[in-house]
Amino acid sequence: MSTAAGWIEHEVEDGADVLYLEGAWRLSNLTAIVLALRSLKLRASRFVLDGSRLEALDTAAGFMLYSHLARLGCTETMVDERRFDPHHERLLKLVHERMKCPPVAARSVHLGLVQRVGAAAISVWRLTRSHTGFVGALTVEALGLVPKPRRFRLRETVSQFEAVGLDAIPIVALVTFLIGVVFAYLLGQQALRYGANIFVVDGVGLAMCRELSPLLAAIIVAGRSGAAFTAQIGTMKVQEEIDAIATLGLSPVQVLVIPRLVAITVALPLLVFIGDICGITGGMMVAGWQLDVPPRAFIDRLHDVLPLSALVVGLVKAPVFAAFIAVIACRMGMLVARDARSVGVNTTSTVVQSVVSVIVLDAVFAVVFQHLGIR
Amino acid sequence: MKPVLEIESVVARFGAEKVHDGVSFSVQRGEVVALIGASGTGKSVLLKEIIGLVRPAAGRIRLLGTDVWEASAAELNELRRRFGMLFQDGALFSSLSVAENIAVPFRENTDLPMDIIAPLCGFKLALVGLPPDTGRKTPAQLSGGMRKRAALARALALEPEILFLDEPTSGLDPVGARAFDTLVRVLSDSLGLTVFIVTHDLDTLLSIIDRAIVLSAGKVIADGPVSAVMKSGDRWIRDYFSARAPQPA
Repeated sequence: MSTAAGWIEHEVEDGADVLYLEGAWRLSNLTAIVLALRSLKLRASRFVLDGSRLEALDTAAGFMLYSHLARLGCTETMVDERRFDPHHERLLKLVHERMKCPPVAARSVHLGLVQRVGAAAISVWRLTRSHTGFVGALTVEALGLVPKPRRFRLRETVSQFEAVGLDAIPIVALVTFLIGVVFAYLLGQQALRYGANIFVVDGVGLAMCRELSPLLAAIIVAGRSGAAFTAQIGTMKVQEEIDAIATLGLSPVQVLVIPRLVAITVALPLLVFIGDICGITGGMMVAGWQLDVPPRAFIDRLHDVLPLSALVVGLVKAPVFAAFIAVIACRMGMLVARDARSVGVNTTSTVVQSVVSVIVLDAVFAVVFQHLGIR
Repeated sequence: MKPVLEIESVVARFGAEKVHDGVSFSVQRGEVVALIGASGTGKSVLLKEIIGLVRPAAGRIRLLGTDVWEASAAELNELRRRFGMLFQDGALFSSLSVAENIAVPFRENTDLPMDIIAPLCGFKLALVGLPPDTGRKTPAQLSGGMRKRAALARALALEPEILFLDEPTSGLDPVGARAFDTLVRVLSDSLGLTVFIVTHDLDTLLSIIDRAIVLSAGKVIADGPVSAVMKSGDRWIRDYFSARAPQPA
């Protein structure tokens, strides 16, 4: 009676809806088949499926057929199959058996704005709590080393120091040198207007030693070594190496975390000092070329105006930055779940967390030093 | 009837070492065939050669009538839609949910709308015997057995004619492993699927396999029904089949 575009022919025989399935019922034709199914006008009483004209059948098409019939309110007893090829019959039987569980939506749930803010707040709170717990555990493990100093892994610490400190010297030197150049140049432009060229020395010296060099070195180390720590420890976690360390009676914190913490805490002040020198050198070169302040005069002036306290303030901040970077990086490494994606996610998170905390700490230091009257 | 898979004197080398030294066999439509052999005999390499990931040094591989290593990129892509591959640990994409994983082949290779793909993905999960709520989970939240089933659902998405399984039961408990074997056999029987399994698992071999092909020292040393292969005089085959503790009578 009605034909749905070559896929189904619908006839009424003995009060039953007979559906002659036609052509290749395959995934590649599924869109057309679904349209054909939807265009059918059925009375939902009793159905007969006739497979005599069917050329091919796969599970996707079989599923669509049955789920459409089910949506029409069809129950198992209302459908009969006849004249199917034995292969097709077996396939339909399997599809029918397995379909009894209701299907699920394939899309993942998308949260609203409020839910996202809430979830983010909760995860920040949990992370802070877990970092704090980790600092506690780290302290206990570190104190455990005091009576047994032989357990301290000097070799590992030195090799980490090489990677974190020595290998970072070129990039720290380059970045601070360039910032020194830029800073002196911009400052010089302003100072030149008032004929106050020589004050560039004050500006460059103070800014590099107190703020710029510690911040730049810390951010470079966070990006270079913090990310590396998380990736190294995280990969070990994925491969169950951390569990293996614990099983061998060793403490993962003593083996992995403390050497990294010590290495980075020692390395960062040294990098900052190198940064101070390179930044001031950059400033000195610009002063010589552009501002008629020869290096000799620059150094004499620096001697007079750069207090030792400025240098010390910069160097004191460095180990604190370093400790935060190490704790965050190692903790995020330990928090890696057992899948490959989570290594990447946690590494990114380490860099973000450590850069943010370095800048927050720097602000805290600025306020505290101001109150203590240290200039 | 033409075989769905024909391997003709395939040679593979890693550096100076010959992994395959003239491997030949064929697989007929609807067969469930196992490739066995000691570790390091290049079973997985052979699988990768068949599905077009590793190029053999010499020989011919015809899969579903197409010469895998003579085919153009377009022919190879066409061929890839016609077989499914289950990797050893599932190889589900960890950034996607299970349902999204199964949706990937539909989205990339068909123009079906989302309102058809979503229920189809749910059905594929049911087909491999996973509960419906599995679809929302991430692969990391699944146990090893469930991961393999989910990966099988993805491999079955495009209604393949031939299914390749790389060590499908490794890392599963015996109960889970047997359930997986049964599932493979049921699918093969009902869907007329050809299944090619690389395995170490003796129980898989004894329960669901039509034919076993034994690889040793770069060559096929036995090829036939499991009962015939068991009677072979080769030392490794004898040791392999007697490796299992004697069953109580």
